[in-house]
Amino acid sequence: MKPWQIVFRKEFFEVFRDSRTLFNIIISPLLITPLILAVIGGMARRQVQDAQKAVVPVAAVGLDKAPRVAALFENATDDNLKVTEMTRADAEQAIAQRKVRAAFVVPENADKLLDEMTPVPVTLLLDQGSQSSQEAAERLKLVLNQKGQQLAVVRLSMRGLSPEVATPFTTTEKGIQGGASRGTLMLATFLPYIMALSAIMGGIYLANDSVAGEKERGTLETLLVTPASRRDLVLGKFLAVAAIALVSGSLSLIGLLWPFAIKLPAFSWMSESGLSLRPAAVAAMFLVQLPLAVLGAGLLLSISTFARNQKEAQSYLGPVILCASVAALLSMMIKAEAPLVWAFVPITNAALVLKQALEGVSNPAFVAAACAASVVYAAAAVAFATHLFQREAILLKA
Amino acid sequence: MIEVDSLSKVFTDKKRGEVRAVDGVSFTATPGEIFGLLGPNGAGKTTLIRMLATILEPTAGTARIQGHDIRTEPEKVRASIGYLTGSAGLYERLTAREMLEYFGALYGLPPAETKRRIDSLISELEMGEFANGRCDKLSTGQRQRVSIARSLLHQPPVLFFDEPTSGLDVVAARTVVRFIKRCRDEGRTVVFSTHIMSEVEALCDRIAVVYQGKIAAIGTLAELRARTGATTFETVFLRLIGQDDEEEGEKGRL
Ligand SMILES: Nc1ncnc2c1ncn2[C@@H]1O[C@H](COP(=O)(O)OP(=O)(O)OP(=O)(O)O)[C@@H](O)[C@H]1O
Ligand SMILES: [Mg+2]
Repeated sequence: MKPWQIVFRKEFFEVFRDSRTLFNIIISPLLITPLILAVIGGMARRQVQDAQKAVVPVAAVGLDKAPRVAALFENATDDNLKVTEMTRADAEQAIAQRKVRAAFVVPENADKLLDEMTPVPVTLLLDQGSQSSQEAAERLKLVLNQKGQQLAVVRLSMRGLSPEVATPFTTTEKGIQGGASRGTLMLATFLPYIMALSAIMGGIYLANDSVAGEKERGTLETLLVTPASRRDLVLGKFLAVAAIALVSGSLSLIGLLWPFAIKLPAFSWMSESGLSLRPAAVAAMFLVQLPLAVLGAGLLLSISTFARNQKEAQSYLGPVILCASVAALLSMMIKAEAPLVWAFVPITNAALVLKQALEGVSNPAFVAAACAASVVYAAAAVAFATHLFQREAILLKA
Repeated sequence: MIEVDSLSKVFTDKKRGEVRAVDGVSFTATPGEIFGLLGPNGAGKTTLIRMLATILEPTAGTARIQGHDIRTEPEKVRASIGYLTGSAGLYERLTAREMLEYFGALYGLPPAETKRRIDSLISELEMGEFANGRCDKLSTGQRQRVSIARSLLHQPPVLFFDEPTSGLDVVAARTVVRFIKRCRDEGRTVVFSTHIMSEVEALCDRIAVVYQGKIAAIGTLAELRARTGATTFETVFLRLIGQDDEEEGEKGRL
C-alpha cells in the first residue's frame, strides 16, 4: 500500500469509532432528518387546515341602508365569516385594533344600483401590513364573487338566456405523461439545499480532527517524521474527508427517499400527488455530491490546517458554513431554468444541476459549465490545503 | 552518524521580529554514542532537532544523517531516524497495537514483520496488559511506553529524544532512560536533549551546551569540568553560558 492509502484507511475507519460520527453521519441523516421533515410538513399542513376552519371576524358597513344586499349575505356560503355591522369609522378602528380582520363597505344607493343592474362598487377595508387581514379580505372577495355569480345566473335566466353564456371558457389541468410530478417538484425545491449542505457538513468533524486535532494532541509531529511525504499525508487525509462527506451525503439522500419508498403516512402530504423519479434524476443526485464533497474537503482541510487547534478551526468554520448555506439556499429561489452565470457559483451550481435533473429540465451547457467550474473550484481548494500543509510556519504554529 | 554543518534557523515572529533560534551550529555524533544537548528554555534545542528530523527547513547550513542530506533527501533521512518528544501524542481512538501497526505501515514494514516487532516491544516494555485497549484509557507512563515503542519500531540507526522524560514520574522516567541506554549499546546514534542536569550526567557521553541558538561548549563531562574549573555540573553549565555570578542558582536557573 502507498503511504496515502495507509493514511486514508486509518483516517476513514478511525473516525467511525467516535460516537459523534456515528450519530452525525449515520443516525442523523437516516432517521432525524426525515423525522424533522415529517414534523415540519405535518405542522404546515395542520396550519393550513386550521386556517380554513377558523372563524374570521369581519365587519359590514352600510348594510342597514341596503336591505336587499344585506339579504344576500344572510345565507352566506362561507360559514366561517362572522359578519358584524358597524359604521365605517368603527370598522376602521376595529381593523386597526385587530378586533375584526377586514370590512366591506356598500354604498348608500346599493339597492338602487342592484335594481338597475349596474355594478355595485364595494370597498374592502383592510390592514395591508397584516397577513391575516389580507387573507380575510381575500375571503370577502370570494364571497362577493360567488354571490355575484349566483345573481348573474338569476338575471340571465330571467332574460331567457342560459347561464353558460357567461362562461365562454372552462379549463382543467392534466399532468403530461413522463413529466415531473408535484411531489417531485417539492423534492426539487428543498432536496438540493439539504444535499448541498450535507455533502459539505459531513466532513467537518473528520477534517477538524485530522489536522487541527492532531496538532492539539501532539500526533502530527509523529506523523511528520515518518518517511511518508507531506503530500501523501495531506492526500490521504483529504480523500478520507471527501469520502466521509460522500457517505454522509449519500446517507442523507437515502434518509430522504426511504420514507417515500415505503409510503410512510407522515410523508403522504408530499407524495400523494405521486413521486416519480427518473433514473437520470437519481443518478444526478448521487453524482453532484462528488464535486461538492471534494470542494468541501479542500476547504475544511485548509481551515483545519490553518488553525492552531480544533476550537480555532470551529470558529473559522462559522463564516464558511454561512456562505455555504446561503449558496445552497439560493438554489431554492432560482428556477431550474437558470441563466448560465449561476453555473459558475460554487455549491449553488451543483444544487441547480440537481434541481434540473429532478424537474426534468435538460440544459447540457449549464451542466457542462457547472461541472467544469466545480472541478476548478475543488482543485483550487485541494491545492490550497496542500500548500498550507507544506508551510512549516502554519503546520507547527504553536 | 550525524554530521551537522553550520545549521541555522531564523523565525520571523510577528511581535519579536527575527528570531535566531539556531545560529550556526556544527557537531558530529557517532554510532554508539549518546550526544547530549543541554540548554535553558528557548535555547533552540527543539528547533535544532526538528531541523535534523526534517520537520523544519533550515535557513542556512545543512546536516547529513547516515550520509543523507536533510535538505535533498528528507524522506531517506526520516526513514533512518526515531523521534521521541515529551509532548508526543497518541491516537486516542486506536488501541496501542493498532497505532503501532499504523506506524509500521507508514515506515514501510511488511505486516508480518510489523507484528513480530510489535509483539517483542510489547513484552520488552511490559505493555501486555494495555496493548489492546484504546489509547485514551492509558496513564501518562503507559502512553510514553507506547511512544517509545513507536520510535523504535523501525529500528532506526539514529534516534532523537527531545525532553522525553518531561511529565513522567521517576519510575516511568527510568524506563525511558533504560531504553536510551539500550539504543546506545545496540550501536545507534542517540541525540538527547534536556535541561535536567542529572540526566545529562547519568546518560551522555558527550555534551553540547546550547545557549541562545549557539553551541557554547562541546565535550565530555570531564572536559567541560576541566575547562571551567568547576566541580558541580550546575556551576559548569552556568559558567559556560556566562551566567555564573556568585549568587548561584538565582539567575540563569534552569
Ligand atoms: N515556530 C516558531 N516561530 C517563531 N519562533 C519560534 C518558533 N519555534 C521556536 N521559536 C523560538 O525559537 C527559540 C528557540 O525555541 P526552541 O523551542 O527551539 O527552544 P528549546 O531549547 O527547545 O526550549 P525548551 O527547553 O523550552 O523546549 C525560542 O525563542 C522560540 O520562541
Ligand atoms: Mg524544546
